[in-house]
Amino acid sequence: MDFSELSHQTEIRDSLDKILSEHCSQERLKEYDSDFKHDESLLSLLSSNGFLGLGLNEKYGGSGEDLYDLGILFERLGYHAAPLSLSGCLADVAQTIQKFSKVESCNKILGSIIAGEIYTSAILEPSNQDPENPITEAKIENNQVVITGTKYLSEIASIAKSILISASSIEGVLLVLVDTDQVKLTELTSTANTPLFKVELDSVKVGVESIIHEKGRGLEALKYLIQLNMVMRSYIALGVTEKMTSLIAGYTSEREQFGRVIGTFQAVSHRAADCFIELECLRLVNQQASINLNTNLDCENEALISKIWAGNACHKISYSAQHLHGGMGVDKDYVLWRYCLLAKECELINGSASQNIDRLGINITTNQ
Amino acid sequence: MLIQLNQKQTKLQNELQEYFESIITPELKKELSQPEHFEGGGPEFKKAMRTMGSDGWIGLSWKKEFGGKELSPIEQYIFVETVMRTGFPFPFLTTESVGPMIAEHGSAWAKEEIATKILKGEIIFGIGYSEPNSGTDLASLQTKAVKQGDGYLINGQKMWTSLANFSDYIWLATRTDFEAKNHKGISMFIVPTDDPGFSMSPINTLGDVRTNATFYDNIHVPESHLVGELNQGWSLITSQLNLERLALVNHGPVEELYKDVLITAQSTKINNDQCLSDLSWVKHNFAQVHTGIEALKLICWKQTWIMESDQLNMAEASVAKVYGSEFFIEAYRLMMEIMGELSILKNDSELKILNARLERMYRTASILTFGGGTNEVQRDIIAMAGLLMPRTR
Repeated sequence: MDFSELSHQTEIRDSLDKILSEHCSQERLKEYDSDFKHDESLLSLLSSNGFLGLGLNEKYGGSGEDLYDLGILFERLGYHAAPLSLSGCLADVAQTIQKFSKVESCNKILGSIIAGEIYTSAILEPSNQDPENPITEAKIENNQVVITGTKYLSEIASIAKSILISASSIEGVLLVLVDTDQVKLTELTSTANTPLFKVELDSVKVGVESIIHEKGRGLEALKYLIQLNMVMRSYIALGVTEKMTSLIAGYTSEREQFGRVIGTFQAVSHRAADCFIELECLRLVNQQASINLNTNLDCENEALISKIWAGNACHKISYSAQHLHGGMGVDKDYVLWRYCLLAKECELINGSASQNIDRLGINITTNQ
Repeated sequence: MLIQLNQKQTKLQNELQEYFESIITPELKKELSQPEHFEGGGPEFKKAMRTMGSDGWIGLSWKKEFGGKELSPIEQYIFVETVMRTGFPFPFLTTESVGPMIAEHGSAWAKEEIATKILKGEIIFGIGYSEPNSGTDLASLQTKAVKQGDGYLINGQKMWTSLANFSDYIWLATRTDFEAKNHKGISMFIVPTDDPGFSMSPINTLGDVRTNATFYDNIHVPESHLVGELNQGWSLITSQLNLERLALVNHGPVEELYKDVLITAQSTKINNDQCLSDLSWVKHNFAQVHTGIEALKLICWKQTWIMESDQLNMAEASVAKVYGSEFFIEAYRLMMEIMGELSILKNDSELKILNARLERMYRTASILTFGGGTNEVQRDIIAMAGLLMPRTR
């Protein structure tokens, strides 16, 4: 049993905080409130400092296959509300390829991701509650895959070189990498101004070599991708809620009413303490899930538990933070409001708490 | 970072499981099913304690000089977890919290006579903290110990002295300096319950657990019964409470109950082709309990791991206490909902596996949110030590 971070992990956290706090000042974040929310200069800084290789094997130029390292990156991106959406690229595409693709594709794709090239995924579909069963269809004809269907909530797809698509075929689920210029993209405007896209595929044809996994392992790869995405999103949620909790502590320790600091009222300090408890639980279940996913490709229950805690923590801490800040909490000149929007996004994308409770309940009662 | 038991620890868990199966005899089970023995104290209970002691299981993490095995707090936690899963009323306050305090701070007599006998399973303690007018504000306690001859004369009254009806000693908090500020005039004593000045009256509680009001009338104890320095008792109380809080929220019993309710629901037919566990709301309740247990397990493991490096963090100990105690109440409710009206039956011959445990657990759960330091004070501590907020008033 050892809950301590290794020294290199603490270093990752510290150097990320240094870079991100410089790059995510209020002034800079403001620029992205109405603009396309993607900070290219920050991305290249992360790349040149080796942070895009977190969780990737050294043989591809990464810093080692530990998903906890990658979790730290997402946590800190969340904490600083960084204008970068990288879970599709660094979690979904990079990690799934590392685990399921041949060495040649790993060499080619992972190397370019580490260098700062954007890839993304398009897994979720409108009104499909079960992403493990894609409605999008694929047919294999003459060494070509022909894909038709509609995906949505694909992150920063407009600047991605390729998009990893999940589709159902008679050979089972397939994960296929499709060039972005072969699909129709529509930008969706969302609550936190995250660049999310609808992706439409109308008989898109790619070579069978674009299927990223061995024959028959598509479902396994897709399950891994979905679980990893849940856990990494929960790390973003951890950073977001950690920041909100520290804002609560800071603000209520200074704001005076009735001649005293409001943090000295139990009604206030106890609500803050409840946020601290929620945060501690989320941190622990995330750690467990990411560590287990390192050695076991299927950790569905741990991933679900992580995302359930993330969904609940995002909801509870966000509203506590707004409430305890009073009007300041909703004032766009103060920092809190962006976190509240991010919290809602983390809470709902790729499985809400209630949806995941449902899934976990089925697994438990059928002894899975 | 490594968040799992290692092979040796898993082996220990299995070994202990087998061991307890041999210890918990039908005679002991029968004794423990009688309300007056819910908390132990009967002859079979005492026999089992001594067997565990002589087999070397009590105090795995204790120093060898007391008869311990010097294993880590993790192994100690596994021991308590496994024994609590069996439903045996293991006196963990004696072995896990008072015992270590005496082993560390007691006089030569206390170390030799008391600490070693705790490890042999021969001695049980009651805890004398609360008084009629000192509960949450414990430092206002008035039971006094006055220097007399080569020892101290003790007078006063304590409330909620659980296990006093079969304890050998009371771990007693007294005021020894009436001039000093509240926290600075407190000293800890080991007080024998066979002294003629000791008496008690029972308090029967909602959970059918007996506790006691205890009275101390001119009890004279020698100097050797003082634990730690004179007037330095407050730090012993807070250290003891930190250890107590972790033991109180051990995840073993609630997980054991969850597993049993799950098995019961999976085998309870509600019609020709459906079991209780096929209902979607039942699945949701199970998922909620499971999600909560996972967090509790991790909180406890982390606490135990922190103890290994001897840096028990106040905020985290309070997180464990608040989260665990409030989760228990929620978990029992969710599980009782699953079994529905069946779970209010005290004699559930239809549901042998649960043995009316749900009906009893919910009645005993409420004491944990205020016992061992009320959750309001724990939240104050979390806000101050965890979030660096100003002291509440």
